Amino acid sequence: MSDPTKIRATVKGSDGEVRILIPHVMESGQRRDPSGQLLPAQYITSVILSLNGRPVIESALGTAVSTNPLFAFQLLGVKAGDKVSVAWTDNKGQKGGAEASFSAA
Amino acid sequence: MLRRDFLQAFGSATALAPLVAAGLLSPGTAMAVTVNRAAFDAKTAADALRLIGAASAESSRDIQLKAPEVAENGAAVPIEVISSIPGTTRLSVLIDKNPLPLALQFNFAPEAAARFQAKLRMAESSRLRVVATAGGKHYTVFREVKVTVGGCGD
Repeated sequence: MSDPTKIRATVKGSDGEVRILIPHVMESGQRRDPSGQLLPAQYITSVILSLNGRPVIESALGTAVSTNPLFAFQLLGVKAGDKVSVAWTDNKGQKGGAEASFSAA
Repeated sequence: MLRRDFLQAFGSATALAPLVAAGLLSPGTAMAVTVNRAAFDAKTAADALRLIGAASAESSRDIQLKAPEVAENGAAVPIEVISSIPGTTRLSVLIDKNPLPLALQFNFAPEAAARFQAKLRMAESSRLRVVATAGGKHYTVFREVKVTVGGCGD
């Protein structure tokens, strides 16, 4: 959980590919500990991807997203140097994020 | 699509005020998307579809859903979704047999292609369903994915 969020942005032609890795437990609330108690759900509910400070992808997540979520997106009409950032929030109020600049492939 | 059409498609910023107050969205970063969190608590795919307004989605060949036919590990099933439907603003993914079927929703501004890759958790073999929203209409495609080892319990 304490590992930093990673974001990688690569220009491909006139578009850009963004890959995001968020180290997070994504506890589904369906699992039990050895004594049979349900482990409380802790999962990311919102991920916002911004291009040059403007939100371009907003997501709502449920408990069915895997542990340490990995996402890939494609943004249109980007160039090297454009800034992309990601910000996430989980259901317990924890937050994280990362920023990168698009680099040529 | 013009930016203002895009914003109107998702309702006014006023409707988001409670979300901002609840800390779900930070002021200044919201894209004016309305999210129905209740849909994520729905216990059946039918209820979730109804809550996202897609109960009568028509099937479409213009949505590509790439997923393994057999997933050995249900804890991380890689999927890729690409919508070729013009003006797609939202993609939703449901896993029918999961305890909570609605897995995720992505909302796209015009600067983003309506496509993504993600890894999902599947409790058991199930129908995997994608709903694309474009111009207020809903389109859907599904695939069956066999899961060898489920990914929700232990």
